[in-house]
Amino acid sequence: MISLAGRDIMHAWGKFVFTGLGLGLLIGVTLSMAGIYRGMIDDAKVLLDNSGADLWVVQKDTLGPYAEPSSVYEDTWRGIRSMPGVARVANVTYLTMQVREGQRDVRAMVTGITAGRPGTPGWPPYLVAGRQITRGHYEAVADIAAGFKLGDSLQIRRNHYTVVGLTRRMVSSGGDPMVFIPLKDAQEAQFLKDNEAIRQQRRRTASNSMFNPPGAPGLLEAVIASQSTNPFVNAVLVQMKSGYSAEDVAGSIRRWKHLTVYTRGQMEEILVGKLIATSAKQIGMFLAILSIVSAAIVAFIIYTLTLGKIREIAVLKLIGTRNRTIASMIMQQAVALGIIGFVVGKITATLFMAPIFPKYVLLEPLDSVRGFFVVVAICLLSSLIAIRAALKVDPAEAIGG
Amino acid sequence: MRGLHVQRSTLVVLAVLIPLLALFIYVALRSGPLAPVPVRLATVEVKSISPSLFGIGSVEARYTYKIGPTVAGRVKTLNVHVGDMVKAGEVLGTMDPVDLDERIRGRDAALKGAKAQLAEAAARRDYAQTQARRYEQLLESGSTTEEAVSTRRQELQVAGASLKAAREEILRLRADRKAIVAQHSNLQLISPVNGLVVAREADPGTTIVGGRTVVEMIDPESLWLNVRFDQINARGLAANLLARIVLRSHAVESISGRVLRVEPLADAVTEEILAKVVFDKLPKPLPAIGELVEVTVALPPLSPAPVISNAAIRRIDGQLGVWEIINGKPHFTPVTLGFGDLDGFVQVRKGLSAGDKVVVYSAKALNAGSRIKVVEHMPGVKQ
Amino acid sequence: MAGNGIRIQGVRKRYGSGDTAVEALKKVDMQVAPGEVVGLIGPSGSGKTTLLKCLGAVIEPTAGRMILGDEVIYDDGWKVRDLRALRRDKIGFIFQAPYLIPFLDVTDNVALLPMLAGKPNAHSRKRAMELFHPLDVQHRARAMPSQLSGGEQQRVAIARGLVNRPPVILADEPTAPLDSERALAVIRILNDMARKFETAIIVVTHDEKIIPTFKRIYHIRDGVTYEEAGEGRGFE
Repeated sequence: MISLAGRDIMHAWGKFVFTGLGLGLLIGVTLSMAGIYRGMIDDAKVLLDNSGADLWVVQKDTLGPYAEPSSVYEDTWRGIRSMPGVARVANVTYLTMQVREGQRDVRAMVTGITAGRPGTPGWPPYLVAGRQITRGHYEAVADIAAGFKLGDSLQIRRNHYTVVGLTRRMVSSGGDPMVFIPLKDAQEAQFLKDNEAIRQQRRRTASNSMFNPPGAPGLLEAVIASQSTNPFVNAVLVQMKSGYSAEDVAGSIRRWKHLTVYTRGQMEEILVGKLIATSAKQIGMFLAILSIVSAAIVAFIIYTLTLGKIREIAVLKLIGTRNRTIASMIMQQAVALGIIGFVVGKITATLFMAPIFPKYVLLEPLDSVRGFFVVVAICLLSSLIAIRAALKVDPAEAIGG
Repeated sequence: MRGLHVQRSTLVVLAVLIPLLALFIYVALRSGPLAPVPVRLATVEVKSISPSLFGIGSVEARYTYKIGPTVAGRVKTLNVHVGDMVKAGEVLGTMDPVDLDERIRGRDAALKGAKAQLAEAAARRDYAQTQARRYEQLLESGSTTEEAVSTRRQELQVAGASLKAAREEILRLRADRKAIVAQHSNLQLISPVNGLVVAREADPGTTIVGGRTVVEMIDPESLWLNVRFDQINARGLAANLLARIVLRSHAVESISGRVLRVEPLADAVTEEILAKVVFDKLPKPLPAIGELVEVTVALPPLSPAPVISNAAIRRIDGQLGVWEIINGKPHFTPVTLGFGDLDGFVQVRKGLSAGDKVVVYSAKALNAGSRIKVVEHMPGVKQ
Repeated sequence: MAGNGIRIQGVRKRYGSGDTAVEALKKVDMQVAPGEVVGLIGPSGSGKTTLLKCLGAVIEPTAGRMILGDEVIYDDGWKVRDLRALRRDKIGFIFQAPYLIPFLDVTDNVALLPMLAGKPNAHSRKRAMELFHPLDVQHRARAMPSQLSGGEQQRVAIARGLVNRPPVILADEPTAPLDSERALAVIRILNDMARKFETAIIVVTHDEKIIPTFKRIYHIRDGVTYEEAGEGRGFE
């Protein structure tokens, strides 16, 4: 027996391939949607991975530092360092802000990393160009997603930073590229506004007679100086010695230091469960809608193709073709369309769509495999309408049209 | 002719499908998580590095003079403005004396009155003496009573005391006048040294409390830099090391200087070590006081040792190391690091030797099973 | 196998029931011997098509008896369980238009029937090829239907009707789209094939050009058949 479906496809391959291309673009969008969802989760995970921390110590009763503002005193780390099980600690600050470079500005998560050596918690774990920060001030390592290059001069608040290194896939949970700068600069950047705001503040302080009473020279200066320092960081990152349970160490810090501590699992729960939950649901809805649209399109295409062959189907039935043969012909065509569509979709999603999306699109192989089966299932289901129409064709129609 | 049709259409279909399929397989295997990780390698080199320390600080004056009145008063004149160079002893301005001159004149008048009183007291005493002597003679002659003589004697003593009091009053008034004159001369604000006026905090007419600064002066020859180095990066900082100074206002060129001293007291809160750095030669025009400076202190070059870029260093399971390429596969080699310089080179004390290949850049975090692809240019990096 | 041709006795067909019932076939009697080509002629609405559908086993008659070869296929009810197989193996169809499957080439259009019957592809194609020579389409064996002329298409359709060597072939207006020369050629082929393969052929037509060629003609009028002798011209 020859393959009727195959022959039909070969006969009208142009129609098939073009229909497949169209369907493929739709599937490509669907795969990209799934990829965006995976990308969001991955953004959250790489943020945690890149921090290199086992524990996050944050302000009591906050979900900081990523999901909620948190500030702890910059010397809190000293107490934590001495807890049993703690191998390394590092202060860190995170602030999402505009970073200027020349005429343009880029939204970035400015991360203040504590002075030290590569491998310190909070430092970028790997680079794609340049080097790690060596100077304690005014150097920056930026993510390539921000579009900076080595040697660029960035302006963050009042200071200029030279880009000395580039990273890849170091983003905030919102997908903003990270810019790493020394902690002291970052604390200052977090606190100090622009020059104008500083002057305004000084003036406000000076005009308050409490701070500037007659007969007390020097008080105003002292007040202003105390206003211009920022003894806070957003979190303390902790790396543990091997052999200690994260939960135990976290528990003892919670108990004795009156701070909130999150383990990696809890942090992931916060980022994935709370921060991107709504976006994830939104994308889930898009996926569902796109799947329905794809199904409707496949059903419509296959139905149209089948209706165009009603006469041939009647003849086939008249000359004794079994329903099974006709149904399998339609089904095979639907699946073939689905496969062409999937192949085209996967290619376009990977080569054309993923790179142009502003957000990270992570196309997981397992998702592709799942997507393939879903596409095939959708095509099979969609072909049912056409099969029903084909089976209703009366072989008698071939006679005496 | 026969069969050509089918073959041709088959060929066309294949011509479309095979590249599509090939592209698909390429896409499935070569992109996404299954793709090999692009990496760039570096060779461990033996070379000598010159570590340096980097700190920031501000321009400060070693000596600052704050000049103002010692008592409350009103500023009368102020002759200098910010930026003026003044000499030692030069009068910068004066305070309003208010009633001091009148008080001196009052003292002068009082002095005259006191002198008149002194003359009167002297006259009274002379008369009392004469009287006393006469009555004594009269008593010897018995022409008066003992009682009258003692009355005259007492009058003489009273007149003597009055004379003494009048003399003391003159001394007091003289001292008083001197004090007021001294006070008067203190109303002048006088420069203690040759220096530069950097602040003028009150203008004539302003009433100020004692001790408040009216004019602030510095000695421009004494400009130095108060520089802060992070404690963690301050190894080797010592006096007399050469320093390169970059002023924020002249970011392109650096000025040479040297470390004058390292402060014995570190900043415990900011975890910084403080040092004073001086210019070899004062730049002209003078840098502004408080201007931000970046200071790079060069340490002596180290003897040659294997070095790697700090971008190659990773921490895995708490251990510092590098991804070494052994037989084309990444292998994590723990290393012990030595000094580093500001260009990102770090000495390797243990773990690597010259000629070893290590991963310096990778597009993703590597693990022992990672497939790698060595590239010349990392994808996505702008030149 | 083709021993007895086809015999139809007292076949009736009523559509609907009760007051709205329409009696399309009232009394049909026909007999066609193997090797014989008969004409079935009647005006529109006479029941021609209904009869053809009954003969082609696509609709069920209401009553009567139909014998195909030596097998009673209908006797007040179907006597054959698999009507599809019956149509495939025992009845050849030739339609007004060729109705070739557009996505199969000429050979496979014809070979499809034996294939559907479960014959191996090579065997089926061989049987199809055997028919191309007598039908003079052997040079178009690998062509697609759309590349053929109308006459060629109709000859391929005839080959398809013949390929399973059915005892009877039902031809529904096979010459309608053709000019008289081609129409006569088709009738000649049908006569040749009928003789050659011992097949009974019923040609439903109202084509004046070909009516004189039949030796025997059944007229159908208001659901009743009347047999009459034809002129039988041109094929002695």
